Amino acid sequence: MTGASRRGLLAALAVALPVLVGVGYSVLASLGLTGPGAAGGGAARLAAVLGEPVVWSGLAWSLWVAAASTALAAAGAVVVAAMFRRGARTDRMARLFAVLPLPIPHLAAAVAGLLLLGQSGLLARLLASLGLLESPGGMPALVYDRAGLGLILTLAWKEFAFLALVAFSVVATRGERLEEVARTLGARPAAVFRRVTWPLLWRGLLPAVVAVFVFVASTYEATAVLAPSDPLALPLLTLERYTDADLTRRGDAFVLALLGMAVSLLAVAAHEWARSRWDRFEP
Amino acid sequence: MTAPTLEVRGVSVPFGDAPGLRDIGFALDPGERLVVLGASGAGKTTLLRAIAGLAPLAAGRLTVGGHDVTARPAESRDAVYLHQTPLLFPHLSVFENVAFPLRIRGYRDSEVRASVAELLESVRLEGLAGRRPHTLSGGQKHRAALARAMAARPAVLLLDEPLSALDPALRDEVRATLLSLQARYRPAMVIVTHDLEDAAVLGDRIGILLGGTLAQLDQPGRLFRRPASLAVARFLGVPNLVAGSVSASQFESALGPIPVEAETPRGPATAVFGSGALHPDPCGSLRGVVRSVHHGPRGVTLRVDVAGIELEAAPGAGAIPDPGDEFSLGLERDRVTVLPGTGDV
Amino acid sequence: MTAGSRSRPAVLAALALSALAPLALLLVASVGRDWFYPAPWPPSVTLESWWDAFRGGGRMAAALGTSLVLAVSTGLAGAVVGWPIGRALADLRGWPRHLGAAAAFLPVAVPPVSLATGLHLSALTAGVAGTAGGVFLSHLVPAAGYAALYFLGVFTLFDRRVEDEARTLGAGPWTVLWRVTMPMMRRQMGEAFLLGFLVSWAQVATTLVIGGGRVRTLPLEVFAYLQAGQDRYAATGALLLVIPALLMLGTVRLAVERAEATPL
Repeated sequence: MTGASRRGLLAALAVALPVLVGVGYSVLASLGLTGPGAAGGGAARLAAVLGEPVVWSGLAWSLWVAAASTALAAAGAVVVAAMFRRGARTDRMARLFAVLPLPIPHLAAAVAGLLLLGQSGLLARLLASLGLLESPGGMPALVYDRAGLGLILTLAWKEFAFLALVAFSVVATRGERLEEVARTLGARPAAVFRRVTWPLLWRGLLPAVVAVFVFVASTYEATAVLAPSDPLALPLLTLERYTDADLTRRGDAFVLALLGMAVSLLAVAAHEWARSRWDRFEP
Repeated sequence: MTAPTLEVRGVSVPFGDAPGLRDIGFALDPGERLVVLGASGAGKTTLLRAIAGLAPLAAGRLTVGGHDVTARPAESRDAVYLHQTPLLFPHLSVFENVAFPLRIRGYRDSEVRASVAELLESVRLEGLAGRRPHTLSGGQKHRAALARAMAARPAVLLLDEPLSALDPALRDEVRATLLSLQARYRPAMVIVTHDLEDAAVLGDRIGILLGGTLAQLDQPGRLFRRPASLAVARFLGVPNLVAGSVSASQFESALGPIPVEAETPRGPATAVFGSGALHPDPCGSLRGVVRSVHHGPRGVTLRVDVAGIELEAAPGAGAIPDPGDEFSLGLERDRVTVLPGTGDV
Repeated sequence: MTAGSRSRPAVLAALALSALAPLALLLVASVGRDWFYPAPWPPSVTLESWWDAFRGGGRMAAALGTSLVLAVSTGLAGAVVGWPIGRALADLRGWPRHLGAAAAFLPVAVPPVSLATGLHLSALTAGVAGTAGGVFLSHLVPAAGYAALYFLGVFTLFDRRVEDEARTLGAGPWTVLWRVTMPMMRRQMGEAFLLGFLVSWAQVATTLVIGGGRVRTLPLEVFAYLQAGQDRYAATGALLLVIPALLMLGTVRLAVERAEATPL
């Protein structure tokens, strides 16, 4: 092994070590070998937690929110990237507005979402002042609602900025010259979009879409502000158990933590698998 | 008489704030190859993009096969533009890249298959149909891009420096493919390059793009022997430029009188000739001393001091002289062009 | 794009509204006094919450200070740790390279809640649970991951021949680092710092678990205000979270411009 690869692998170990320690501990705790409420080895705790319906409804709810908000954000990013790709002033302004929310923390976005979409939020006030709403109760529930619409809209707004940034760069770096090639080969604008722009865009955007999905599925801040208590989203359920006074229930949190990690890793692995099948882009 | 495959008339193209290209005009017959030579920045790419419909014209008219295409978008001009580096679609296989022009024209799958197979075979890529572009070598990418261009059956093929970025072996490979495809599908070609060698090998005719206009448009033989202006002669790198002046009907210089055509304007002028026009000749009227001998890939040239002027000469059929040798030289007068002006020669 | 260019002005207006309206709403909510439903506009304004944010000894001011100290140290430490790791990873070839990239990706991809619960015992054992130092270390884990990934990209594109040239001109390794590489990477170091700053600035789960509620950062106070129904204070805290982020907007904009200028 050369010096460079030894150094590199040591660096890899250094950056991943805290996570590996955390995972290792969570595995041991999930198997009841250590940690709060440890009751000797075995898969009993694992089986018990995974047998609870509330775990699976929480996971399903988190996946629904992640899928819906990611899909909304990605669709918006594709449309905006395709519409505002040139060098004109309006294009540059549109790109600036699109990426503006990028550095805003999720919690701040969630507070704005609550003040806008809540039962007595700005939207309800505006509807009321237009005479469309009698009382706050008349406002369709967008916050703490079972469908998670307020959370989905907030997360989609926040993640749209990131996906738009990636989409702009995909279109700018790869798109234009290949589109020219397609045109001189005889493709009309619709065919150029369908056969060149769109395939390039979605392939270029996919890694970012997967990253957003993984992030959103496990995000805590916005979920804690906007999500309902039933079903309780997986990240909220995990922390609820972890802060439980009952030590046995506290230990259950490690199973949920591993479940959250498994979702992230599965999504990343699925993406890697798909990418290796479709073939990679030229670097 | 049939219409030319491509006719460019009075075309002006702005680039940026610069005056750009002005009043470009030429016409190509089917299967004809025109090479446009110009220094980098002369606007060669701009010209091709304008013909392809990718850059707007300020003035002028373009016809393809007799149809005015000036106002048509790029996709309906019947002219395919090939970038210098082959730009294959990265998300499509080699097969689907070549099939692209056929798919968008709505050909049936069986027709696409047959046609693509034939094209891939003609560029010797039949075994690589399923590969992705990034797995191809440089030469294979070029061949695939050429096959894809031909799949559109264009009347006009526009090639931007097709050989410039290639190493010598690859150059021959791509040039051979280019010529064999053209022999088979007969598109007219406009090829832009800064390389004199490429121009000489590829062009049926060569246009010199200088200062935004076509300074000369001629067959290679005539172009290299009879440059139209001193600027063209300098651009072509004609080795011998001898200053003098025209009076009565002859050109006077240190090399002695040379008869000129009657319409040559009087005054300062320059005699222009290649090294082949000057060679050892026992009956020659000039005396020269060899300064140095250069052995190059295409033979030997001599640097000779003649009457205080250093000239390039060919060694002729005899033995190659050594530096310091003195001998008589003959100048083939009919291979000498006398051009008005002296510039800084 | 085939979807008509006629809709461009409308979409542009929607983008502007979507970018600016939430911030405007936070601003109004942060100063609105007695803003009860269904008033569309607060009847009167007060700067009380803003005063509290900048007055010494105020709860919000203390949280703001804690957050700033944590974020600045995390940003600095993340850049310092991420640089050599990213560079070493960029030197890998073949399968170890994929392994290295995956390793740097782990702390970024792992759910923060899972990371927090997984590391809590280590923090307790090390005696840093419930302290700002422990919270700093827990923020550093994802921040170092981001910085390592960032520098991995930077050094993959970096032309080492510049360093080689400096070496042949007589500079030792440290001189090269100090006088050649670091000055060339000034912008990248700044961006890595900002990355780490933002990661720490927005952390909630790790702060909650590792800090055990005793390390009060700005996001934690925002949560507390929300739970207490103090919307004005929550909005003020949210805006305080946004402001440093918006100061970065110039940087983000540069990134956009650069992405567009990247040659094929």
